[in-house]
Amino acid sequence: MSITVDLTYDLAKTLGIRRFEIEAPATLQDVLRLTRARFEGEDAAFEKLTRVTGFVVNGVLISHGRGMETPLKEKDRVSFLKAAAGG
Amino acid sequence: MIKGYAGRILEVDLADRSFAFKPLDEDIARLYLGGKGYGTRLLYDMTEPGIDPLGPENPLIFATGPLNGSLAPQSNRFAVVCKSPLTGGIGSAACGGSFAYGLKKAGIDILVLRHQSATPLRLEINGDRDIVDFLDASELWGKGTNATQVALGKGRNHAVIGPAGENLVLYAGIVSDERIAGRTGVGAVMGSKRLKAISVTGTRKLDMEDENKFKDYTKWLRQLFRDHPVLGEKLRRYGTMGIVNTTNARNIIPTHNFKYGHHDDAMNVSGEYLEDHGLVGVKSSCIHCPVACGRDVTLEGVGRVKGPEYETAALLGPNLDIPDLRWVNEWNYLADDLGMDSISLGATLSFAMELQERGLLQSGLAFGDPTGIGEMIQDIAHRRGLGSDLADGVKRVSEKYGGKAFAMHVKGLELSAYDPRGSFAQGVEYATTNRGGCHVQGASMYFESTGPLTINPQNLKLKAEIPVVQQNLACAINSMVLCIFTTYGLIPKAVHQMNPNGFLHRTIALLFENSGPFYRLVSGLKLMPLLWYEKWLTYITGEKFTSGRLQEIGERIFNLERMYNLREGLTGKDDTLPDRILHESTFPHLRSGHPLDQLLPRYYKIRGWDEHGVPLPRTLARLQVRL
Ligand code: SF4
Repeated sequence: MSITVDLTYDLAKTLGIRRFEIEAPATLQDVLRLTRARFEGEDAAFEKLTRVTGFVVNGVLISHGRGMETPLKEKDRVSFLKAAAGG
Repeated sequence: MIKGYAGRILEVDLADRSFAFKPLDEDIARLYLGGKGYGTRLLYDMTEPGIDPLGPENPLIFATGPLNGSLAPQSNRFAVVCKSPLTGGIGSAACGGSFAYGLKKAGIDILVLRHQSATPLRLEINGDRDIVDFLDASELWGKGTNATQVALGKGRNHAVIGPAGENLVLYAGIVSDERIAGRTGVGAVMGSKRLKAISVTGTRKLDMEDENKFKDYTKWLRQLFRDHPVLGEKLRRYGTMGIVNTTNARNIIPTHNFKYGHHDDAMNVSGEYLEDHGLVGVKSSCIHCPVACGRDVTLEGVGRVKGPEYETAALLGPNLDIPDLRWVNEWNYLADDLGMDSISLGATLSFAMELQERGLLQSGLAFGDPTGIGEMIQDIAHRRGLGSDLADGVKRVSEKYGGKAFAMHVKGLELSAYDPRGSFAQGVEYATTNRGGCHVQGASMYFESTGPLTINPQNLKLKAEIPVVQQNLACAINSMVLCIFTTYGLIPKAVHQMNPNGFLHRTIALLFENSGPFYRLVSGLKLMPLLWYEKWLTYITGEKFTSGRLQEIGERIFNLERMYNLREGLTGKDDTLPDRILHESTFPHLRSGHPLDQLLPRYYKIRGWDEHGVPLPRTLARLQVRL
């Protein structure tokens, strides 16, 4: 089993995929590293698209838990998150 | 008369076709502002307990406030108040478009419609000549809200109903331009009066205390809003659907009748996706609003129409397991044209699907399958076949066919598209809001689940305090009458630029989360105007407004609404959430749902209510709520 990584719309559009899977166990640093790797050296584009972007693990914003230290296990769902307002 | 008001109430009797202009009561205006507040006061005073919401005794009140008719951004909205046929309690809804502006230009603060016409009727109000014409509307009867407004022509401002209102669909709304006063069935009340449309015209000018200060301040504020990350950028660029990917990531987008909070394909109904697939225009839809959160899309066979809002996209998309923009656009158009609330509609359709799934009803509707939905929406609006049952909303359908545990409503009003299991303050707000399960009576979720600085939404801290402050503020906003989206401006630009994973963000969120009594104290300070609301009101009316005074006005309105509900037979037992929300978990780390039982007593205490949710005499006395 693995961990699902959901991308923001802009990341998904740029990479042509909406989500990918990584092996468990993992860390959020792994998620960042593996997402960045998909940009194949285009670091500036990656930085721009992930500016002011949070992480949510299983629906919970990581800053409400253990922050970047949040451990990831099998079946977890990690989402990149942009704040928004609707109605 | 206090500046900012026209000083007149127009009372129209639809049965004997008479009308009279009456003076606005300044004391009531000082205590309740206008809009929803003044409207609720009138409703309480004008009606006997226990009236039939669809009977002649139920007045339909259109109410503006002191900010309407001005050029303040987001200020041209009106409130509609009556007894709700959907909930049996307070009925209220707010609407953009241009009707509020028209009423104020006609020199009318409040329009009260009494009794019922025997035949289809429309009104033409000329505020310059003080004339009301009662005109036959037989030829308009049966027409959609778009065709009706086209037939009525330009140059006047209209409020109309569609077939749903005519046929007394309990969640029918009232439409002005492309906006709808959607919630609580106000359109059914208009339909019960056989009133198809109201058109208003006038050229009166709003009299302000300090026009120059108002203009300068508004100019400055317009720029501030233009630069604001939400009001000037996100809402403008993506519309309200720009929140889809956020609620989906946070596991709070209703999916499969609120069984889940996440849908793998929710992105297909997001504002970003719309921008890339079929968006043909961005516009305001509410007169003089620079935010322009409205979208235009193209529909085959129809042409350019207004696109969906977040609520519609979520409740007719992932909630039906059909996150497909083509269908959402089509059903959204149908709901608007037929004149019904797409939130209640979406929740009713998903409920019918779950009943079918469980073998409790042969609805012919299935999750994930668009077959028959368009036809069913038409059947609902025209009350044909099963559509007639679904026209009564989730609560009544559950009473007839079963499934109360997954009937997603509070007090009979279907839940909006923020699942409170991932947004505890929003859950308290849903449970306690007087009109029922609605998000725009406080929008607590912005501070815990969707905004740029969110506290932990799944502990008990501040989850009773936020709804109290936000509900009070929303009551005041709906009485000025402003758009609730102005509250998004409360969080400054700098906060939006902070790293959400960073130390500073976390620290501020923690401080906020633990601010408890201090938060309430600051909100209630009566020292000076702090925000644009108070400044605008001060410049327009000449009265001194502070954040504390606004909180007090909002609290007064909220308590009066509460007393109205109690008078009409609702009790503290109605301050609850659907069983699914209370007992089923959608988060792997939680065993159960929303902890309402732990939060409600604290909420009542802060409100100054007893343990049954009844305002204490001293609370009512402090707020000068006369019964
Ligand atoms: S922000 Fe949107 S809903 Fe609010 S007044 Fe402006 S256009 Fe209307």
